[in-house]
Amino acid sequence: MSLPSKQQGLELKTLAVENARRSEAGDALTPLRGDSLNALEAAVFPDRKTEQWKYTSLHPLTDGHLRTAADGALPEPLPNLAAHRLVMSNGRLQENLSQLPEGVTLHRRAGQRDELLTPFALYNGAALTDAITLEVAANTEVSAPLHLLLHAASDTPAHCQTRVEVLLNPGSKLTLIEHYIGQGPVLNNAVTVIEARDNASLTHYRLQSEREDTLHISTLLFRQTGVSRIDSYQLMGGNRLRRNDVRALLEKSGAELNMQGVFVARGQSHIDNQLCVEHRVPHCTSNQVFKGLAGEKGKAILNGRIHIHEGAMGTLAELSNKNLLLSPGAEIYTKPELEIYNDDVKCAHGATVGQLDAAQQFYLQSRGIALAEAKRMLSLGFVNELILALPDESVARWVQPWLAGELSQYPGANEEAA
Amino acid sequence: MLEIRDLHAAVNGKAILKGLDLTVNPGEVHAIMGPNGSGKSTLANVLAGRDNYEITGGQAILDGHDLAELEPEERAQAGLFLAFQYPVEIPGVSNMEFLKAALEAVRKAQGKEEWDSVTLLRKAREACKQVNLDAQFLKRGVNEGFSGGEKKRNEIMQMLLMEPRLALLDETDSGLDIDALQTVARGVNSLRSPERGIVLVTHYQRLLDYIVPDHVHVLSDGRIIKSGGKELALELEQKGYGWLTGEEESA
Repeated sequence: MSLPSKQQGLELKTLAVENARRSEAGDALTPLRGDSLNALEAAVFPDRKTEQWKYTSLHPLTDGHLRTAADGALPEPLPNLAAHRLVMSNGRLQENLSQLPEGVTLHRRAGQRDELLTPFALYNGAALTDAITLEVAANTEVSAPLHLLLHAASDTPAHCQTRVEVLLNPGSKLTLIEHYIGQGPVLNNAVTVIEARDNASLTHYRLQSEREDTLHISTLLFRQTGVSRIDSYQLMGGNRLRRNDVRALLEKSGAELNMQGVFVARGQSHIDNQLCVEHRVPHCTSNQVFKGLAGEKGKAILNGRIHIHEGAMGTLAELSNKNLLLSPGAEIYTKPELEIYNDDVKCAHGATVGQLDAAQQFYLQSRGIALAEAKRMLSLGFVNELILALPDESVARWVQPWLAGELSQYPGANEEAA
Repeated sequence: MLEIRDLHAAVNGKAILKGLDLTVNPGEVHAIMGPNGSGKSTLANVLAGRDNYEITGGQAILDGHDLAELEPEERAQAGLFLAFQYPVEIPGVSNMEFLKAALEAVRKAQGKEEWDSVTLLRKAREACKQVNLDAQFLKRGVNEGFSGGEKKRNEIMQMLLMEPRLALLDETDSGLDIDALQTVARGVNSLRSPERGIVLVTHYQRLLDYIVPDHVHVLSDGRIIKSGGKELALELEQKGYGWLTGEEESA
């Protein structure tokens, strides 16, 4: 984009610091805000020369005034994916719309600081208006999924900070649906930290279905401090800017992490996924399968880093990222990035970018199916194995029509511009 | 119903069909035979509208529609059905979902009553049974992991459901054992009707023991060089294509 990138970084930082100072208030979040602000003042915001940001410009973030968003209008009706729902709107918990399942307690605080050192995570901490920490009691199996609806909306350019921390105590089990919705020129700068202790088990969904005029930057941190299992399903629709930094720390031998994801960048959408899985101790397993589609002028990025520390022997780590380009103007950049500091590991990775198969298109057309519908069916077919693998029926029922909509012919798209 | 006049066609710019004439009337079964490379499969693909198969001269008219002016899906909606020689695998799209989309599109275009999902499933199961295909195949990806014979039977199963005006079978007999061949033939014969035309493209006479044609044509170098009744196929079986083309056939 047009602004000199270094200036953008400085401008964004100045605005972030000012905004953070304005949010000072005497409450339980004060220490975190103060620490984060100090660190933010020393931090350097990325520019396009920063390797992890080379495909993503910060320009859309400084476009307009950086103001902490006031209350945003929630859509009616709210999506309903589970028996229990918590709602945060523009970073603030909506108590009247929230119910907790048994076995989960909620605190209006956030405490995680380590491992959250990126400028955007610091900005989140420094400018918090609210935060929630959910704690699942030890040896408790929460039977129904918990739907965490994270809403951001504004009619004028604004930023909001969404902060969620989840602690799974030993022997606990939870299904969490982390669901982002929203509309308008608002940046949801979100931080989610999930810690799993011994014998804890989490099924995690991350649904990002904001409208296309929104901006989203998020940091998701998994900390497996115990022998635990996390299955995470991440589904991302397109918007003006979506940037997901997902970091998983495997910190106790025997921990297992499975991440699957689908991202769809249509129209002018921009989706940038920066994944980093760190095997810090021996004998952990991680498995990642992501599929991406980009159409029209959409752009999608996936950088999948696997860092196997010295001494983390017996590691099993896999990463697969297959992508489909739907139009000549679309772009996909994918890169597995392995850093391995010991010999006794089994590590596999693969990344591909392809196009819809002409023979398959013709086959469907030869049976009377119009080309646009044939493309939609084949796009859906490309990701279908991941959708069929979603373990919760209520989530699958929501995902299927949403995804079908994302994969339908984009309005006004010039499909034949070859 | 199908009127092909002086058809010229090229594949990726190379001329393959060089003035082909063929008339198929309702109720007739035609067999098109010929050596490898004579243009048999090209004819089938040109009629169905495959990319890179280009009509460079002449006309193919189906019930008044000039096929060259129709998209592949419009040809199907006009009642053309091609049973592929090599049906493609489409993982992730279930056979059932595919049939639903196809039948919705075609029946709607033809002004036929729409089938609800219960009716569709019942009809699809019946069609599977007719070609000896386990109904479990409806749940699998289109042709995904099917054996050669299963793919061919899947083609005939689709054809039974689509009820085409004109069925084109491109080497449907290739790669089939004798039991599968008879199953496929029974499926095709069940579709014979006074309103429907069937064109069998085949290399061997074998299929014609089970689906007896009204007319047999020999295609060579992009033209029909001889036409006759079913006995022409038998004569070809004995004498080889060299008898008509004047060349030794190596296969």
